[in-house]
Amino acid sequence: MKNTIYVGNTQQFNAFLLFYIVVAAQIGVGIHGFQRVLYEDAKQDAWISLVLSFVFAHIVVTVMMKTLDMFESNDLYGIHLDIFGKYFGTTLNCIYCLYPLFAFIAIVINYIEVINTWVFPYLSPNFLCLTILIITIYAFTGGLRIIVGLCFFSFFFILWIPPILIIPLKYSDWNFLLPILDNELKDIAKGVLSMTFTIIGFEIINVIYPFVKEKDKYKRYVHLGLLFTFLLYLAILLISLTFFSGGQLSKTIWATLTLFSIIRLPFIERVEIITICVWLIIILPNLCLFMWSAYRGIIRMKVISPVKFSVFFAIIIFIANILFYKRSTINIYDKYYGRVAFFIVFIYPFILFLLAWIKKKFRKIKTAGEHNNEN
Amino acid sequence: MFNKKKQDKEKNENKDQENKEQQQNEEKPKHEPISPDKNQFLLDVKQKLHSPSDFIVRFVSDNMTLVYVDNLVDNKMLNEIILTQLHEVEEIPEAIHLKLSIPEVDVVNELNKFIGDMLQGAAIVHVNGYDQVVVAKISAYQSRGLSAPENESQVIGSQVGFNENLSTNISLIRRYITNPNLCNEKFVLGKQTKTSLSVLYIHGIAIEEYINTVKQRITDLEIEDLIDSSVLAELIDDNSRSIFPQMLLTERPDRFCDGLLSGKIGIIVNGSSMGILCPYSFIEFFQSREDQNLRWPIASFIRLLRFFAILISIFLTPIYVASLTFHYEVIPQPLLVPLSESRAIVPFPPIIEALILELIIELLREAGAKLPTKVGQTIGIVGGIVIGTAAVEAGITSNILIIIVALGALSSFTTPNYMMGNVIRIIRFPIILLAGFWGYYGVMIAVCILFIHLLRLTTLGAPYMAPFYPPRFKQWPNSIIRFPITFIQRQAVNSRNKKNDSEQSGKKVSK
Repeated sequence: MKNTIYVGNTQQFNAFLLFYIVVAAQIGVGIHGFQRVLYEDAKQDAWISLVLSFVFAHIVVTVMMKTLDMFESNDLYGIHLDIFGKYFGTTLNCIYCLYPLFAFIAIVINYIEVINTWVFPYLSPNFLCLTILIITIYAFTGGLRIIVGLCFFSFFFILWIPPILIIPLKYSDWNFLLPILDNELKDIAKGVLSMTFTIIGFEIINVIYPFVKEKDKYKRYVHLGLLFTFLLYLAILLISLTFFSGGQLSKTIWATLTLFSIIRLPFIERVEIITICVWLIIILPNLCLFMWSAYRGIIRMKVISPVKFSVFFAIIIFIANILFYKRSTINIYDKYYGRVAFFIVFIYPFILFLLAWIKKKFRKIKTAGEHNNEN
Repeated sequence: MFNKKKQDKEKNENKDQENKEQQQNEEKPKHEPISPDKNQFLLDVKQKLHSPSDFIVRFVSDNMTLVYVDNLVDNKMLNEIILTQLHEVEEIPEAIHLKLSIPEVDVVNELNKFIGDMLQGAAIVHVNGYDQVVVAKISAYQSRGLSAPENESQVIGSQVGFNENLSTNISLIRRYITNPNLCNEKFVLGKQTKTSLSVLYIHGIAIEEYINTVKQRITDLEIEDLIDSSVLAELIDDNSRSIFPQMLLTERPDRFCDGLLSGKIGIIVNGSSMGILCPYSFIEFFQSREDQNLRWPIASFIRLLRFFAILISIFLTPIYVASLTFHYEVIPQPLLVPLSESRAIVPFPPIIEALILELIIELLREAGAKLPTKVGQTIGIVGGIVIGTAAVEAGITSNILIIIVALGALSSFTTPNYMMGNVIRIIRFPIILLAGFWGYYGVMIAVCILFIHLLRLTTLGAPYMAPFYPPRFKQWPNSIIRFPITFIQRQAVNSRNKKNDSEQSGKKVSK
């Protein structure tokens, strides 16, 4: 198959690390306040939307991996070139490269807003953006090995969340979940749509696929990763739904953080402040992965050193942060970004799979025809 | 089979290597013949050495001349063996060579070569009329006796440390490991000093790749002088600009041998009491040899305590600064009261207060290390107590901060390795600054940068963060706690057996 990139053995990583990559890519800033958006659409049945969206995600991931398996050791950019030819393929690659850029911006502005609201009201967003970018560049220039390492370590910074959620569980009222399925199916479906912003991230396998060592068993780790995030989100959502009353929840922008703020340990109060700061290391692999996946696309078109690329990328982000940083714009941005992401992550893989399948069939017929002619 | 052959050859190889190296060193100055005439010979040698005052010439008989450098040779051997036997022997270099009953005698016909030997402690016999000299190596090193390792003391375990003599150190190691597979390769480094050093490893346990890397790096070095092994360690490090050491410097033979036995490569430099062990991963710097000597629950507890101490040492002061500057609300009410009470009369913001106190502690430490031992302890204790109490009473620091800073300083000394202990003390300062400016967010920035930096480091090309990343879960428990001896894997984290690896990768390929 043409356009196959060569990946040396030293660059590859073991398949089980995909679990951590998927988890790290999925859990980002969305987790801070996805409950409100979901609740607005699906009310007390929000958790059904969540379950549905994850079922959907599993299907999408399966389709993605089917497509990738069709093309040996090739990422999405290579597949584009293969299916659509050089010119249209490159155009598509260009467009697809913008997606990680937007994702990056979304994460940065949302995180900065959380910090400004909860921890440092007067700290300049530009400064915060700059620090995040510097750290990201430092990690990114280390190469994929370091990025995967960060994914791995950030996983352990997530692990302490579930046990700490037991404390608000004491105050929760499970009657808030009743009546089940009282809402229209349309609303629940809408909930699935608005879940996009929180659930995406697993599409990184489109780009990271050639770097996985054991191609025969990587699938289970992707699914396991999805399952882990699913359980985490479900736990947080159920606790939020039962802890807050409906009216409260629709007025709470960052329900997870509010949940944390009632926790009182013997030596620490206001756990959410620590949580928000610790979140830096949780969004870091996220950012690096997005930067890296954009880089993979760019080097298909033009060979550029990672340092130059990351600085260039960082400048764009910095300007975007200045432009978009306002509560109203962030909301609008999230909304539109969510829609675009929904198309790219949840719809596009099916189209691509179909096209790849047709192309393959077509090619088979063609080669078969050639064989016949020869005979 | 292969091993045995290798050992048989080993001695010859070593000699060959020495010769080669010496030849290499003397290739640049021209091959100079030795004058057969006695007076001309003396003139030549004096000219070469710039007639030093400790150059001694003795005319044994009319034809025979003995020259050596004072204090470099063993006087007893010189008087009792060489001088007596020279009187009885036929005056031909070959005959003298055969007659002299000392371990190392050589016949040399090249000026520069024997001068090199003479400077290492050989007595030279010149016979009038021959362009060859007899080199009798009877060097005497002035070295201190073996004593307890002072910087890496431990309660249970052997109490002997390396000294500055290469051959003594190697003999110490050979006493621990009586194994023909223990390879010893000699190198000479430094144009001015010609320091000899040995690369030691156990054939079959150490990984070939690492051995070659070490040898390659040493031979590639072009340096003027080499005084201590720590310089060498920095020169052959993977990332010599990093603050973290990537090779272990140890003065304990037992720790050194432990490293060799677990597949590491050791380097011993003549004139230095520290041996180098590599590759060394981050977590291994915090494991002590003593852990193996204690019962496993106790050793595990102490090891965990040590990790905890490191965390305290790095993060406690920054967290104090961050909490008191920005995040009062994080501290629970009952704790906030004593905190603010003790800080009530302090006129500085917490960051200045913390920096002052940290600097004082560092000053005390540095002074304690440099002062003569007899005064050192007293000054340390008195200075600590006096300055500490006075600082609180004068109102420039709070009591609680003194506790925190002292705790941090104390904790940093629990690291079993001095180099790593230094790192832990120093990286606290930037973190305090970050905490003072941007609170927990600043601390988190530091944590992120630290993580990324550690992930980026390698040691001889192997990952520095092993076994945590790349994750080798089987080695995790043993890296954090100490298992009972029967469960311990002998191989160190970065020295996995090559055979297993190749087998595994072979399987993958065949699939």
